[in-house]
Amino acid sequence: MPTRTVTVGSASGLHARPAKIFVEAAAKAPVKVTIRSGDRRPVPARSMLSVLALGAKQGTEVILEAEGDGADETLDSLAALLAKDLDADHA
Amino acid sequence: MSELLDPRAVRLAETAAGRDDAIRRCGAVLVEIGAVHPGYVDTMLDRERSISTYVGEGVAIPHGTLAGKDLVERDALAVLRFPGGVDWGGEPVTVCVAIAARGDGHVELLAALAEILLDEDRARELREATEPGAVIRLLGPIQEETKR
Repeated sequence: MPTRTVTVGSASGLHARPAKIFVEAAAKAPVKVTIRSGDRRPVPARSMLSVLALGAKQGTEVILEAEGDGADETLDSLAALLAKDLDADHA
Repeated sequence: MSELLDPRAVRLAETAAGRDDAIRRCGAVLVEIGAVHPGYVDTMLDRERSISTYVGEGVAIPHGTLAGKDLVERDALAVLRFPGGVDWGGEPVTVCVAIAARGDGHVELLAALAEILLDEDRARELREATEPGAVIRLLGPIQEETKR
């Protein structure tokens, strides 16, 4: 299954704002994506609560997985998003 | 000992004309318990306009922007329940868990809160709580998990 391992880039971790940006992008993806950290079970990347519950900080390694048409492209763009500092680009 | 969730910050029969009004109510409670300076409330409104703090299960988590961190006197939560519901950009919100946080404790705090809301029974208990004691019992563990 296509997989990406990413290190969270947001300065204050995957807290409310970065998590929301990530979850919204995952919800728009054509394939179902899961995210997990360490040995914990994979959770749906489009579930805000599940993503928040990971408690991922800057530097935490997370693993994204998806299957089906467009899985690789989806994972590439979501991985790039997670690696960015989503706190840096304020509206 | 300073508790994260002060019983005085649990208000279970609130009403609000809309989302911004609900956030102002949340901010006013954080100000009232001495957790934040009044200016923090504006940063809560800024944050909400930039991106919704709705997390699911009828719960929103209003909090300030990074710019508002200096206006936080101490880390604290406030729980405001709006039995009539508040329209949160299309999502019905019953409970606001307002957050004042200076540092990164914030990620653990959100993770602990999310764990509670992922449990349907506990999420419902929180939405239907009419006694402050019930809220403190539900959210109390957050304090232990985030305390270092």
